[in-house]
Amino acid sequence: MQVDFAGIKLKNPVMPASGCFGYGKEYAKYYDLSELGAIIVKATTVSPRLGNPTPRVAEVCAGMLNSIGLANPGVDQVVKKELPWLRQFELPIIVNVAGDTVEDYCFVTEKLCQSGLVDAIELNVSCPNVEQGGMAFGVDAGVLAELTTAVKKVCSVPLIVKLSPNVSDIVQIAQAAEAAGADALSLINTLVGMKIDLMSRKPILARGVGGLSGPAIKSVAVRMVYQVYKAVKIPILGVGGITTGLDAIEFIMAGATAVSVGTANFTDPYACPRIIKEIKAYMEKEGIKDLSEIRGCAHVLS
Amino acid sequence: MLLHVSENKEVAKGIWEMHLSGDFPFENVQPGQFIHILIGSGREHVLRRPISIAAIEAEKETLVIVFRVVGEGTDWLAKRVEGDVLDVLGPLGTGFPLTTKQKILIVGGGIGVPPLYELIKRLWQQGNEIYCLLGFRNSDDVFWVEKFKEYGTVTTYTDDGSFGEKGLVTQRIAEDFLEKNWSNVYACGPVPMLKELKGIVANFSVEGYFSLEERMACGVGACYGCVCNNQRVCVEGPVFPMREVVL
Ligand SMILES: Cc1cc2nc3c(=O)[nH]c(=O)nc-3n(C[C@H](O)[C@H](O)[C@H](O)COP(=O)(O)OP(=O)(O)OC[C@H]3O[C@@H](n4cnc5c(N)ncnc54)[C@H](O)[C@@H]3O)c2cc1C
Ligand SMILES: Cc1cc2nc3c(=O)[nH]c(=O)nc-3n(C[C@H](O)[C@H](O)[C@H](O)COP(=O)(O)O)c2cc1C
Ligand code: FES
Repeated sequence: MQVDFAGIKLKNPVMPASGCFGYGKEYAKYYDLSELGAIIVKATTVSPRLGNPTPRVAEVCAGMLNSIGLANPGVDQVVKKELPWLRQFELPIIVNVAGDTVEDYCFVTEKLCQSGLVDAIELNVSCPNVEQGGMAFGVDAGVLAELTTAVKKVCSVPLIVKLSPNVSDIVQIAQAAEAAGADALSLINTLVGMKIDLMSRKPILARGVGGLSGPAIKSVAVRMVYQVYKAVKIPILGVGGITTGLDAIEFIMAGATAVSVGTANFTDPYACPRIIKEIKAYMEKEGIKDLSEIRGCAHVLS
Repeated sequence: MLLHVSENKEVAKGIWEMHLSGDFPFENVQPGQFIHILIGSGREHVLRRPISIAAIEAEKETLVIVFRVVGEGTDWLAKRVEGDVLDVLGPLGTGFPLTTKQKILIVGGGIGVPPLYELIKRLWQQGNEIYCLLGFRNSDDVFWVEKFKEYGTVTTYTDDGSFGEKGLVTQRIAEDFLEKNWSNVYACGPVPMLKELKGIVANFSVEGYFSLEERMACGVGACYGCVCNNQRVCVEGPVFPMREVVL
């Protein structure tokens, strides 16, 4: 079950996705976080953010919309309080970084790296829920390359760039991030969606639009991982709609080295440890000793 | 955890009372806390539904919920029958703090009434003198009034006067306050009701607690989906001190 992801040793390939697991405290009441392959914590910004007005979550068929808007206590608080607490567990800590400007991203990354408490940085250039920055950095190859180059200079740990699916050519964006120095790619963030309340005849989310996640987006995510796997050499973290171990296996067959699990934690607080067990059971049943045996195997036929 | 449905019946139009039994920390429940219920397998409905704990029958290892059918999730719940199994998380959130030997006003509106039942029972056990106002749309919507009467003086209101008094639960509070001199107020119901109530009791010296609703995802404090006045309804709430609540 062990995998090497961009130089980080993971005891298994499963980690909770950013924004869906807080800083781990809540789920630590349900199981020992050391069972996880790693943890990706909430988006962290320069200063504290309260997020968007509510309602900021809504359910749709086989998925959900969110417009949380990067609510977080700011990088200083994260370094002082959240990360030291998480360090009691034996697991790599990955921090998701967001900002409005290139300087913001660099500032937060540098502070996190200097703390010595993080094992990797995940650049969130794909958040559909903020007015400035966020997704704007993820939809233009040139802009993304510039940001990645700048952050890479101040980043002393592996740099993962999390891509937006809300683009016309994911391969071009992925290649731009790789060329600019990304050590790995995370695919995918949420798709932009909307739900209208028939009673009020208005969108349910206060902000109108939100990010679609959950089983509804899995096939889009698998397709993007598949396309990008062929086009880049750096490892891919597959994310989008993973609910079971078999979903995770599908991503690995498309080319993912590791996977992260978001919305499924809300449905089942034990989702991550369950998925780890299910992957293990699948490997035993199929006689697979190392996940590299099936990584990207879906491509062999094509 | 898994709980068995031991009873599920319609107690008013579109309003169901469901009894759930099994291994649950019944003794630890505070009135006002909620359970987070999985709908079906969770693949179509990825979000659980928060429903307040209306009553605890610890000796029968049973908890009771009362819910109104408003969409697919509650419709699915209404179709559960005796012996079906529900996957629930809980008890979750922060409930109503109790007090002893006080003069208490409880105000409930519509589907905000159920969590106040376990509350009135406990407050009565603690020797409080309780006055309770319950509001419903019309006589079709009325439930559990007799149960509340076991523990205090209850006045019921309906919008059209088809049951109890005609009008709003809040309409006589200002007058009655002078005479009754309540020291504590507890409320759960629609936002306009809470807003009106807060305005009225602001003129008196009273300790108040309101239970609020917000759309939830995780229900355990991790997603920040349910934030209200910068606090998580699922952890710091759903019950908040009235003075902190901005409606
Ligand atoms: C702490 C708390 C306690 C509650 N207690 C009760 C109770 O005791 N009895 C009762 O009848 N109802 C209660 N509610 C409201 C209840 O959760 C919703 O009516 C229910 O989730 C609707 O689900 P649905 O699938 O039928 O409706 P849909 O409208 O199809 O639901 C779609 C989504 O919106 C959410 N949603 C819709 N309406 C509400 C609402 N009013 N509040 C929160 N989320 C909503 C659902 O949870 C779901 O995620 C409570 C809500 C909260 C937050
Ligand atoms: C409530 C919520 C909050 C999220 N917050 C973040 C975030 O802060 N940063 C980020 O990069 N992605 C965030 N995401 C996206 C997830 O990390 C993930 O990419 C996406 O939800 C798809 O995976 P899933 O279908 O397993 O949920 C969030 C998703 C949800 C549902
Ligand atoms: S519902 Fe997730 S924090 Fe309250």
